[in-house]
Amino acid sequence: MNINPINERESRFDSLQLLAVAGLLIVGVLFVYSATMADEPVGLWQQFRELRFVEFVRWLLHELFFRQVIWYGVGAVAAVVVTFVPYQSLTRWAYVLYWITVVSLVAVLVPHVGSMRFGARRWIDLGFFQFQPSEFAKLAFIFALAHFLSRPQEELRSPQLFWRALAMIGLPFLLIMKEPDLGSALVLVPTGLALMFVAGTPRRYLLRLGGAVGLCAALFLVDVLFAPQGWRIHLESYQQDRLLVYFGRDFTVFAKKDATPADLDRMRQRQRDRSFNVDQALISVGSGGVWGKGWRKGTQNKYGYLPRAVAHNDFIFSVIAEEKGFVGGVIVITLYAVVLFTGIRTAGQARDRLGKLLAVGVVTLLFSQVFINIGMNIRMMPVTGVPLPLLSYGGSSVLCSLIAIGILQNIYIHRKGY
Amino acid sequence: MLIFDQLKKNDPALRLVALAVLVALSLLLVGLWWVQVVRGRYYQAKLVDQSYRTVRVPAPRGMILDRNRKPLAENRPSYNLGLYLEELSPNFQQQFSDWLSAYKQAKIPLRREQREELGRRARYAVASNLVAQVSGLFQTPLNLDYDDFERHYAQERAFPLMVCSDLNRDQIARVEEHADLPAGLDLDIQPTRYYPQGGTTVHVLGYVRLDNSSVSNEEAYYDHRLPDFRGIVGVEAAFDPQLRGSAGEKAELVDNLGYRQQESMINPVEPGMNLVLTLDLDIQKAAENALLRAEAQTRGAAVVMDVRNGDILAMASAPTFDPNKFVQGVTPQEWAQLNDERLRPMFNRCMQENYPPGSIFKPIVALAALENGMNPKEEYQVEADPRDKAHGWYSKDGITKRDTAPPGMYDFKKALIHSSNAYFINCGLHCGMRNIVRVGQKFHLGESVGLEDTRQQVKGYFPDLKRVSSGWSDGNTANACIGQSPILVTPLQMAVVTMAIANGGKVYWPRLLAQMEPQDPTLGEATVVYPAARLRDELGVSRRSLDILRTAMLDDTENAEGTAYRAFRSYYELPGSDRLRVCGKTGTAQVQNERNITTDHITWFISFAPYENPRYAVVVMVESGSSGGGTCAPVACDIYRSILSLEQAGPARNTTLARAE
Repeated sequence: MNINPINERESRFDSLQLLAVAGLLIVGVLFVYSATMADEPVGLWQQFRELRFVEFVRWLLHELFFRQVIWYGVGAVAAVVVTFVPYQSLTRWAYVLYWITVVSLVAVLVPHVGSMRFGARRWIDLGFFQFQPSEFAKLAFIFALAHFLSRPQEELRSPQLFWRALAMIGLPFLLIMKEPDLGSALVLVPTGLALMFVAGTPRRYLLRLGGAVGLCAALFLVDVLFAPQGWRIHLESYQQDRLLVYFGRDFTVFAKKDATPADLDRMRQRQRDRSFNVDQALISVGSGGVWGKGWRKGTQNKYGYLPRAVAHNDFIFSVIAEEKGFVGGVIVITLYAVVLFTGIRTAGQARDRLGKLLAVGVVTLLFSQVFINIGMNIRMMPVTGVPLPLLSYGGSSVLCSLIAIGILQNIYIHRKGY
Repeated sequence: MLIFDQLKKNDPALRLVALAVLVALSLLLVGLWWVQVVRGRYYQAKLVDQSYRTVRVPAPRGMILDRNRKPLAENRPSYNLGLYLEELSPNFQQQFSDWLSAYKQAKIPLRREQREELGRRARYAVASNLVAQVSGLFQTPLNLDYDDFERHYAQERAFPLMVCSDLNRDQIARVEEHADLPAGLDLDIQPTRYYPQGGTTVHVLGYVRLDNSSVSNEEAYYDHRLPDFRGIVGVEAAFDPQLRGSAGEKAELVDNLGYRQQESMINPVEPGMNLVLTLDLDIQKAAENALLRAEAQTRGAAVVMDVRNGDILAMASAPTFDPNKFVQGVTPQEWAQLNDERLRPMFNRCMQENYPPGSIFKPIVALAALENGMNPKEEYQVEADPRDKAHGWYSKDGITKRDTAPPGMYDFKKALIHSSNAYFINCGLHCGMRNIVRVGQKFHLGESVGLEDTRQQVKGYFPDLKRVSSGWSDGNTANACIGQSPILVTPLQMAVVTMAIANGGKVYWPRLLAQMEPQDPTLGEATVVYPAARLRDELGVSRRSLDILRTAMLDDTENAEGTAYRAFRSYYELPGSDRLRVCGKTGTAQVQNERNITTDHITWFISFAPYENPRYAVVVMVESGSSGGGTCAPVACDIYRSILSLEQAGPARNTTLARAE
């Protein structure tokens, strides 16, 4: 704002943000524990008392909530490292990082390198860790694009630069789409747009781009939902089904003319199967009511109606909402709001354009994930495999989210007048 | 807002981003509020819908006791071997993965549907293997139907799948010896109806069938029903609602795979009431045994009634059957036996069939005649049958009726103990059918005796005044006077007739149910007492007429000329002064086909005792007997002997119930 002398009262770190992050991490451990242990007859405390120490540790290492704790630790260390290397120095590696992730995104598509899970190639098996390049690609993408756009605003008027920026968004987008990981790919779009917008890309470019993206999305949806068989874009069947479920389309409208009743039944069954996750998540959230059923007391979670495969990662919010109710949900959203707005404040106070753009990129990335994930838990958004940052179980996601927080802290530490 | 203020005013782009984030997060909050607060109830209801299963829990059925509280019907535990699919799920998975790896090794790729099919087959293989093991253990063939199994797995997984129900003692022993019963198999115990007396009293009690459907006023939808019984006929049917009480409802919380997690009682069961019948088991047994001795394969009935109040002390019908068979279901072979055209064991002959009364109708004709000025001393000349000089006949005004009594001079007493048809046709024609009908109606012949709920009661037939006032000939009257067509009665109706003659003209409603008491008196439910001696009607005939009739009936057993004398001779020779003097009347009715050709005989003996102060009425009927005196009187005599020895053994007999009231 102005040239401030060093203010003794002001913390070096954005402690409000750190507090909110700490709160989210605690919520994360508690509810990954609940989601994975609610139905286990023997809990943590009893295991601790009944097992010998070595056995107890071995047991712990097997349990997802403890692995999550470990990931939190690893993530925290990474975040600290990221925090104390000035972001300007980090950015020197931006293009290198970008190309490394692009290569790993290509590698993931190669059979025998990328490992297949749930019908998608998203992981590279490193033995101890299933590495998910798309998560890291998001960060590398932010660094590269922020670096690219941090040049003086006047240069951005050149259409050539605009196209190059678009290409930088498009390359990882297409590669991640190919995995397929629609959710992670889609997250890149608002992030990229926000960066270009804040960087000062001329309005007319942005309007046209926005218009084009909107038109494409609309055409895409119309095609998926209404086009006859031969005219449809090739999508993975589950992706198409998810969109159909989201928009409440009857699966049987796509039946061939000569479909037998058995075929129709099969389609209806598939519709029930496909909407099962969403329906159960809604029942979980809705039946939580205002105050929730209590930690580890959610029947949807405990008795497996909320599918166990997703309860601790993509649908962790349903578990929280069921067990802690509307109050719990508001608390979680408030914590995210604190993180996001302190992030925007950091962007406002950043020393240079690069810092500001990096902060905006990180904030929009986190925000998009939060919005899409919570949105799909309450059926405001279609189901896509987007984790809830910091809360969902998953090494790559936790690591990247914490590094993202580290970047924000980094920019905050090196803010103007400090 | 805190953070907004800190944003530079001259940075509209950042402010727009902040605004967008704010709006989007608010949108999430509104969405969350909508789902959790506004629509919370809707989703809670959906949750209950999908995760609770309701179970109908039948109430313990009430016992049926005789008047001395000896059990006639009670509940016993039945042991069922059930398969608990929830415990088998690791085995299912093991089998499935074994097969799957076999396919993998053979490098046969499986489509999704094929994998699912393989899963189903694996489940069935595990379960049917267990059933085969049990089959070997019991050495009885047991089968597990694939479709049944799949249905149970899909819909009722939380509940055991019945492998073998109602194990016999040997099978229970085998199960218990086999300490390491395979996992997933377990004995469970369900109450089952049990009749400790077997075939005794079976016709009164009726029987029950396995039927767990909801009764009216009860929740109609359940996910699962535990076995329950419903009375089909007899007392079990007549008082079924009281006996069965009301079923409770249990809610079971199940997980996404249908496995039971918790259970809670929603509605408690209300146990059924115990019924105390007026029957006296000892007299009932005596009556049944006496009937059995009458012939090789007796088809008959015996009713013992307390003439002072109408209590039914025994109601025996032969042949009998074992009602316990119905509890678990009868085999087709047994079913065929039970429906044997001639024996008809399931029929309660005491009240479920109409019979011509024959000569036992004569006391009613006598009462009508005596009331209408007949002089009992006046003698009547019975002429000899021209074709059979040893027997009399009635032939007048174109009416010809053959008689079994010899020709000669008859006064009332002689006519009754010889059962002279000619004499009574003459009386009947003299006093007129309308008067006979009036007396008969006082006995409520042709009407219900109030036990229609047992679904075993028929009403007989007795003409009314309208019927006899037109299109009714003297020939019809002659037929009616000797108890032939069109009059039809049941043994129980005749017991009521006998009771009224014995007690001086009081027609009581027969009483079968004495009281209804709660199974657990501490629960505060009241005992319902059904009063004895409910007066239905009074005969309105003079004491004199009744006395004349009773004295004549006494002579039937005591006078050497009486038709029942032979049966009772040895009985009267019994030592002891307090033996019961029996008044009786025999009867042998002809069963005629459409062409009036006699095809069969229904033999009867109605009686009451003691003469001086009557307490018991005993009515015996045997189908295809030789004669009332020859077939039925000995049965009645047997019953009196038993009653006598029972009275001598325990003077409290027949008063227990009165005391309990």
